[in-house]
Amino acid sequence: MDRQQEFVLRTIEERDVRFVRLWFTDVVGSLKSVALAPAEVEGAFEEGLGFDGSAIEGLARVFESDMLAQPDPSTFQILPWRGETEQTSRMFCDILTPDGEPSAADPRNVLKRALAKAADMGFTCYTHPEIEFYLLKSQDLGSNGAPVPVDEGGYFDHVPGGVAQDFRRTAVTMLESVGISVEFSHHEGGPGQNEIDLRYADALQTADNIMTFRTVIKEVALQQGTYATFMPKPFTDHPGSGMHTHFSLFEGDTNAFFEAGAEFQLSKTARQFIAGILKHAPEFTAVTNQFVNSYKRLWGGGEAPSYLSWGHNNRSALVRVPLYKPGKGQSARIEYRGIDSATNPYLAYAVLLGAGLKGIEEGYDLPAAAEDDVWSLTTAERKAMGHAPLPASLHDAIRAMEESELVAEILGEQVFEHFLRNKRAEWQDYRLQVTPYELQRNLGIL
Amino acid sequence: MSLARRLISAGFSDLDKGERFLAAPELDGIDQDALFAGLSVAASPDTALQSLVRLIEKSPGLKKLAAADLDTSEPLYRLLGASEALGEFLIRHPEHLDVFNVRVSPEPMSAQGAELRSTILRSVKAEPGSQRPVAGITGQPAYAALRTAYRRGLTELAIKDLCAASPQDFMPAVGAELADLAGAAIEAALAVSRAEAAEQFDVGDVADVGLAVIGMGKCGARELNYISDVDVIYVIESGTLDDARAATIGTALASGLSRAISSPAPEPGLWEVDANLRPEGKSGPLVRTLPSHLSYYARWAQSWEFQALLKARTIAGDRELGSRYEEAVAPLVWASAGREGFVESVQAMRRRVTDHIPPAEEQRQIKLGRGGLRDVEFTVQLLQLVHGKSDESLRCRDTTSAIAALSAGGYIGRADAAAFDDAYRYLRLLEHRIQLFQLRRTHLMPAAEDAQRFLAKAVLGPFSLERPHPDQLMGTWQKTKRSVRELHDRIFYRPLLNTAAKLSSEDAKLTPEAAQGRLAALGYLDPRGALRHIEALTAGVSRRAALQRQLLPILLGWLAEGVDPDAGLLAFRRVSEALGTTHWYLGMLRDSQAAAERLCQVLANSRLISDLLEVSPESVAWLGNDKELVPVPFEAQWQEIKSKLSRHPDPESAMRLVRLIRRREILRTAIADSAGLVDQDAVGHALAETDRAAVLGALHVAESAVAGSEPLKTDVLVVAMGRQGGREIGYGSDADVIYVHRARPGFTDAEAQEQASAVVARISSFLTQPLKPAILAERVLVLDADLRPEGKNGAMVRSLDSYAEYYRRWSLTWEAQALLRARPMAGSDELAADFVKLIDPIRYPAELAETDVREIRRIKARVESERLPRGADPARHVKLGRGGLSDVEWLVQLLQLQHAGKHPDLRTTSTMEALAAAVKLGLVGDDDAALLEEAWQLASRIRSANVIDTGRASDLLPSSRRDLEAAARWCGYAPGNAGQFEEDYLRVSRRARSVFERLFYGY
Repeated sequence: MDRQQEFVLRTIEERDVRFVRLWFTDVVGSLKSVALAPAEVEGAFEEGLGFDGSAIEGLARVFESDMLAQPDPSTFQILPWRGETEQTSRMFCDILTPDGEPSAADPRNVLKRALAKAADMGFTCYTHPEIEFYLLKSQDLGSNGAPVPVDEGGYFDHVPGGVAQDFRRTAVTMLESVGISVEFSHHEGGPGQNEIDLRYADALQTADNIMTFRTVIKEVALQQGTYATFMPKPFTDHPGSGMHTHFSLFEGDTNAFFEAGAEFQLSKTARQFIAGILKHAPEFTAVTNQFVNSYKRLWGGGEAPSYLSWGHNNRSALVRVPLYKPGKGQSARIEYRGIDSATNPYLAYAVLLGAGLKGIEEGYDLPAAAEDDVWSLTTAERKAMGHAPLPASLHDAIRAMEESELVAEILGEQVFEHFLRNKRAEWQDYRLQVTPYELQRNLGIL
Repeated sequence: MSLARRLISAGFSDLDKGERFLAAPELDGIDQDALFAGLSVAASPDTALQSLVRLIEKSPGLKKLAAADLDTSEPLYRLLGASEALGEFLIRHPEHLDVFNVRVSPEPMSAQGAELRSTILRSVKAEPGSQRPVAGITGQPAYAALRTAYRRGLTELAIKDLCAASPQDFMPAVGAELADLAGAAIEAALAVSRAEAAEQFDVGDVADVGLAVIGMGKCGARELNYISDVDVIYVIESGTLDDARAATIGTALASGLSRAISSPAPEPGLWEVDANLRPEGKSGPLVRTLPSHLSYYARWAQSWEFQALLKARTIAGDRELGSRYEEAVAPLVWASAGREGFVESVQAMRRRVTDHIPPAEEQRQIKLGRGGLRDVEFTVQLLQLVHGKSDESLRCRDTTSAIAALSAGGYIGRADAAAFDDAYRYLRLLEHRIQLFQLRRTHLMPAAEDAQRFLAKAVLGPFSLERPHPDQLMGTWQKTKRSVRELHDRIFYRPLLNTAAKLSSEDAKLTPEAAQGRLAALGYLDPRGALRHIEALTAGVSRRAALQRQLLPILLGWLAEGVDPDAGLLAFRRVSEALGTTHWYLGMLRDSQAAAERLCQVLANSRLISDLLEVSPESVAWLGNDKELVPVPFEAQWQEIKSKLSRHPDPESAMRLVRLIRRREILRTAIADSAGLVDQDAVGHALAETDRAAVLGALHVAESAVAGSEPLKTDVLVVAMGRQGGREIGYGSDADVIYVHRARPGFTDAEAQEQASAVVARISSFLTQPLKPAILAERVLVLDADLRPEGKNGAMVRSLDSYAEYYRRWSLTWEAQALLRARPMAGSDELAADFVKLIDPIRYPAELAETDVREIRRIKARVESERLPRGADPARHVKLGRGGLSDVEWLVQLLQLQHAGKHPDLRTTSTMEALAAAVKLGLVGDDDAALLEEAWQLASRIRSANVIDTGRASDLLPSSRRDLEAAARWCGYAPGNAGQFEEDYLRVSRRARSVFERLFYGY
């Protein structure tokens, strides 16, 4: 038994932890949890915990339903919202096949593989997400058929005595107590919309943190009698919830994106990384924006980027290079603004990292930076400047992904297949729906 | 003697140059005889002479030494002849020419490490006695001083090495002294670095930071090469500073140290100080505190990192801190054999040793490859790790001591140990001499003859009577490599046998626990069972047991390379018990290494072949003879069957012989396949021919059984369909057939039909019914007539006329498609020709209507969803799944139906031939065809692999890792690539599917 495992067992003993949850993620990014009695933890470390994987989306092939969940002791945390009396804890786990090999279908393993590839090229990848979400009065819809936000505030508004204020304070405290450092939190553009930025960490840890974050936010909201949603676009008239993520690559202790004196202080590596992302973005959009609803955000205006472009501190571009603060070479980074808050963070980070690395490997050239507001250009102007659009719907995104050798390689054939199957089914379902919009527009006149 | 002859006899390579240099004015006054006596002991007289002339030019005083008697001048000539680089050093630093003022000894003493340390420390004006020495000089002058002092030490060592009576015996001492010299240089570099750090940081703070330099790899083990990177790990400690401050200073000290050793300066750098073995490798911090090291090892380290720690030794800096580090990591090293994944990591390491050699270097590598230095080091380390857990006497760092300890502890045989040790020293000596010449880091045997001549001479001691010659050098080297390869297996397994066979030999014998530990480390999952089998194979005094005691050490190694060593060993035991007394079996094992290796390989990799060999052990004989493994042509099989039938009129015994012949030929094909003697196409072909002979035999037996003494009323023809028709079957495939008959003159249609039905029924049952005694391990040939007109509702056999009538009235597109692969297989030749004439217009229509095309597409689409077994993952079903066999075949068949009417090239029953023809006609693009072919071949191969591996047919890509591994190897992947193989199949089939969809469905 190693030290970390020992630490976990000791904590369980000393803090009288009654419940242990093993967490993992299915292909669409839903958190799954298996309960474990404290007495079984030791065995789970050694042999993993057997469970029926066939019930989990994309995890197991039907005929091979026995899977093993092996907890990662370094992710052990007491869950604070369960109170002091009956302590509950969680660990993330890796999913193994019955013969103990990492499961090719485990999203966490997909990201691990992508990071291993980066490591082979000499890079470590750090990420820092800005997660937006809406705080609603409840899960029920209002009389107008739309969700009901908790307040009517706007960007950076301080709403006196506001629910959101309290909420953010409690949530941040709780996040800190599960070991997730928060950089920043504020009210966002829409009514009831909030943003919380997590401190940068390596990509795997960030992805774990995002999964925990979503749970914490939902729990805190419930405690306060509200409801939190990460749905990409819950309101027709208000901005959607994105998860802009900053990426940086380090070689040893040096930031590989920084080059003093270069244009925007961007190294060649950074330029190739961005080029890789832009070139392959249409192929992986089905991953970063995986729901029918995601495309309502992408194409619904607000600050959402819909065209392949990059720019220096340009908020209309898909990839933004933040303003450089002199003397902060280590913090050089790029921001991808396409991801939404409902993505599976493991897969999303894997495809972005993979696309960027591809750009470095193949030495892609980066087109010129967009200096204008990309939204305000005419279609012809955008065409002339090479700002092709992102897929317009989940259907388009699926088609683009089906053709992508790169995404197949990054996700591995098995996740690739499961993911597409799941998404095709979703599109199929959606197409069957008659929406309120149609009824409103057509029923009266036809 | 002419000058030219004199030069040749002294061993000069370039005579012109030699003459020119001999005429140099610097040599005036030196007695020619003395000069030639000296030059003839130099490994390269050319180099020795040139260096000598340049040295005398700088330092005329050297003339006296050059002209002295050989006893006095030998060090001079030997050194200048063996090392151009050290000659250059002396030309740069003539003040060090006093190195030659030594009385050389044939049994030289090693310099004391402490002395070397003091000397080099003093060169940078540091006080050797102080606890943390600080240099009195810094910067380039300090670097130059330290490097010069090091090189002087190196020169002294080289002289001792070159003059030792037996350089091979002296080799370990050279390695040790080189490591001590390197340690001393690093010590002095640290002193310089401390002095430099004091310019940047607070003096007190610098003095407060303790730094221990831990040598890893060859330096740690005190078996360093003349020139090589020195692997180190840094440990820091501070009494009063906080960790961050201590780390900053420690990092500065470590980088300063490396700068002093290797940065540019008037005296060139020594070698790289390589700290990449540290925790987290390149991305980890350069220095760590002891607790930080330990927490890394406790939490994160991988198997190989513990194995690397086996060599860790404090070489410079704070000794006390270093020994605390050594004590703390030692238990980790020795517990590593018990860690999870140890066996895998060992196997992966072994592959790294033997693979990844650039092909251009393969023939010249001394270090890598089988039989190279790494091979020896790996073997020794593995045994140390396996047995050192319980036996502390094995816990030593360097290879030669470890071999001695393993031998003393009885873990390897004494004679084997001696031979292994000898081989290791010889290979190291070669490496030393090659490196010494230019002080360049290389592990390649020279290719040029001059260089080989130099090396041949350089490895000989002063009193050797051998005449150096390049051929003899290369011969000895090859022999040594071979011997290392053989010893490798003997060393692992021989002691196991001594244990198992309960021999009372004085030689190495393991305790049962140690034996099991070793077997487990080699990949046997049930070491206890394996030991029992070994026991059974080697116990007793029979000739067989005696021979197996000789052979098993090697056989066990081969078995261990298979997918399932345990099953392989058990099967070997069974075969051996069945054959043990036959003279050829033992002879073959003894005399034919290739046969024995092949036997182990099939037994440990294939259930199908093992099963068949167990019931027909005489077939083991084929393994020794590739000619026996060539598929037997149909005619020869049929001859044999015919003659058997004539001697056995009774249908049961006749069929028994027919089926035995089929079983035998399937085994032959399988073994040839596993030995890589035949490709996938040839396998399908051979299996189809075997089935054809069996069906023809069954037809004859059935006819005579039905007709008895009466004349036959009708001729029956068996037509192969489907994959059997295309000769694309795998092991144990069913045969799709249809039956045709034609009444002989004088008999009515009804009579003929009745007899034909009886014959057809008999054929099928003769081939499948159980016989007594049973035919063991047979995979019976099931004839499947479902493709006949009207399918399951139709008559089993129809007359030719009835076929003609049927096709004229009813023929459906799917039947035309099925007929594409119809191939008469057994029966009357005229009938066969007439049948083909009948069906050709149907299967090769002049034109295929658009409605027919649509119909074929529709059927295919329906088949895709219906025929796949319930719950099967389409991506993993190699026959009916996505991009599987059936996709490729349907596409090819559609093309045939559309175009074969106009293009006779497409008229073939073989899928791959038809695809190739379609490419030639421009119906399919090259790239598309390549993808389709790749997917089809791989899928066929996987089906074969499934039967071969498990003995059961399966159309699924295996999902358990073990079966996947077996299939991967059968498909030509190197061991350990199951995951990659799975990924590759899924990718290839996905691409093939998209080609298929585009070309077949048109979208």
